[in-house]
Amino acid sequence: MTSTDISAPSVDGEERDDRKTRRPAPSPGPAASARRRARRETLAGYLFLSPWCVGILLLTLGPMLVSLYLAFTDYNLFDSPRWVGLRNFSEMFSDDRWWQSVKVTGLFVLIATPLKLAIALGVAMLLVKPRKGQGFYRSAFYAPSLIGASVSIGIVWRALFQDDAVVDRSLSLFGWSGGGWIGDPDWSMPTLIALSAWQFGAPMVIFLAGLKQVPRELYEAAEVDGAGAWRRFRSITLPMISPVVFFNLLLEIIHSFQIFTSALVIAGPGGGRAGGPGDSLLVYTWYLYEQGFSNLRMGYASAMAWMLLAGIAVVTAVLFWSQRRWVHYEEGGR
Amino acid sequence: MSSRLSRTTGLRALGAGLVALGLLASGCGGGGDSGDGKVTIRYSWWGAQDRADLINKTIELFEKEHPNIEVKTDFQEYGDFWTKFNTQAAGGNPPDVFQNSHAFLRKYGQKNLLLDLNAQVKAGNLDLSDFRQGLEKAGEVDGKLLGVPVGANTFTVVYDVEAFKKVGVTPEPGWTWEDFDKAVEKISGSKKDFWGASDNGGVMYLYDLYLRQQGKAFFTEKGLGFTEADLRKWWGDHREKSKEGLLVPAKQSEQVKPKSSVSAELSAAEFTWDNFLVRYTSETDKELALAPIPTMDGKKTGQYLSSLMLSASARTKHPEEVATFIDFMVNDPEVGKIMGYNRGVLPTNAQFEAYKPEGPDAMIAEYENSVTEYLEPITPHPAGTDTVEAAFLSIYGSVAQGTTSVDDGVAQFFGEAKTALGS
Repeated sequence: MTSTDISAPSVDGEERDDRKTRRPAPSPGPAASARRRARRETLAGYLFLSPWCVGILLLTLGPMLVSLYLAFTDYNLFDSPRWVGLRNFSEMFSDDRWWQSVKVTGLFVLIATPLKLAIALGVAMLLVKPRKGQGFYRSAFYAPSLIGASVSIGIVWRALFQDDAVVDRSLSLFGWSGGGWIGDPDWSMPTLIALSAWQFGAPMVIFLAGLKQVPRELYEAAEVDGAGAWRRFRSITLPMISPVVFFNLLLEIIHSFQIFTSALVIAGPGGGRAGGPGDSLLVYTWYLYEQGFSNLRMGYASAMAWMLLAGIAVVTAVLFWSQRRWVHYEEGGR
Repeated sequence: MSSRLSRTTGLRALGAGLVALGLLASGCGGGGDSGDGKVTIRYSWWGAQDRADLINKTIELFEKEHPNIEVKTDFQEYGDFWTKFNTQAAGGNPPDVFQNSHAFLRKYGQKNLLLDLNAQVKAGNLDLSDFRQGLEKAGEVDGKLLGVPVGANTFTVVYDVEAFKKVGVTPEPGWTWEDFDKAVEKISGSKKDFWGASDNGGVMYLYDLYLRQQGKAFFTEKGLGFTEADLRKWWGDHREKSKEGLLVPAKQSEQVKPKSSVSAELSAAEFTWDNFLVRYTSETDKELALAPIPTMDGKKTGQYLSSLMLSASARTKHPEEVATFIDFMVNDPEVGKIMGYNRGVLPTNAQFEAYKPEGPDAMIAEYENSVTEYLEPITPHPAGTDTVEAAFLSIYGSVAQGTTSVDDGVAQFFGEAKTALGS
């Protein structure tokens, strides 16, 4: 949103100015030329925008509308789509693997998101105090977010957590001999969550920015009143940065719903089928991908995509509704 | 002043837009043939790097003999290969020629994606006269020639020679499941973290042979050739053996992927295709050997010859060149020498005789030679076979991991198979 405000102010702004001047002064001469000028500038504006407009129409909006249509069809990519009404949607509810994917993704969102944000906030609070080598630490903690979504990190992660690999051996030094984590349906999910939590850099940077905005006087005043560290955190830090928490939460939840690459790589080769050991890592987008591109059921996959969109929309709506209760904006009524 | 400025900006924007459009258009139109009469064909296959190294050598050879044809290559592992292929094919841009197998002939044949190569055979661009017995018709579906074999393989037990010798069981033609179970039991008790056999309850091709030994088969022309009760017994038996500690636990075998349990030295026997011996022996120092599938009656193994093939896309603009390419790949003796048995025993007499197998390849040749007399016609592979195979493996995986009961797993499999086979 901010980007459009910044990138196209001149066109929009001048047009509005022009209208304002036109209304009180109806003399034909200058108004006509002003209108011409405005029109020309509007045209130029649209021309500048056109690459993005074409991009959105062709690459986002178009495919989305097509997929909405396909969601109501039986479509195998090769024969023409056949209308089946709501059958794809009703099939989902009797599809065990669909439920499994909803369960896995829900669990991941519920655990990974708060964990990641908690770590991000914790590290941000450590890094906000000026100290030596601050820049280095900030970059170091941010680095995993830059490379985390890549396939290579998934592979490294897999190698770390395999049977008799680094993690397994380190833990056995402390008397825990659990075997590798990857092949065990009970432990593959924690592996995936750990990988996600480790990429806390992006929310951390945002938290850092938020923390810096909190006025020092508030803390000083609280200290004078005898408030302890926990009390200061709960009564000052959290309320003051709640808009940032809200923003991060929203972003990370949406992000978590769409987890794909890391699950795919961690679970490794699955004999042409997704899901990892006992379908324990069958995340939603992955099942969608399998149905669409392996099983050639693009209609069903499209319907699944729209269900995911609906799910994310509901969660987002609930979050927005709930923010009245816990997010404090400075201009707001407190 | 400002109006002139805006006009020039407008024009510039227009110009920039046109340039961008031009770039887009030229980008999309790329990949055509260059003007010097040279034809480019695209070839893709699945496999690991070792296969790619060999194939690239054969392509060099081909391009030297056919300087007017250029071959562009692309390969992935099995699972990724087909998702990429599907995406390309759906976009009307599949490779001109690609690796294929029985499981996919009907699936893509029905969708009119595969070129009927009979016309090219008639035109003399593709010579099928030299194929070894049982292979000439391997790629034929309903009278159409949809694939040409590049290698033949049959199912086998890869076993640990020393482990079997120790317990006094010799895997040989005519051995029975009783012999096999006895050996497995003895081996499993002998050592910690070592089991008599891998848990292959999810391997469709093994279950197919087991059914064929009883006069049934995994597939009929139309759908599944067995009942839920049959499968409950097959999976139930495997679970029981596993609980008795006779089969490699799923948690262990999952960890060592992509290695197999036998080459990771967890088990003494594994059921698979015979050409996998090449890969397995490269992964372990243990002595491995091949034996036919155990039987019920001392005779019938149910085995048949399968093959990897080359298929051509029905949309190719260069059917002649593609046929020439396939012809070269299956008939040229030098190609046979380079490829060895990477994709199975070489398909034509010329290649088979040109290549002198050593090591594991020699064992594969000897093994296939020894079972030839028992081989029977192949089980039908209806459209959807690949999906069913993957479901069979994955659902049994859940059963073996203990996250699904045998009964639930069987019900789930039959549900998914019904969807996949469209019956």
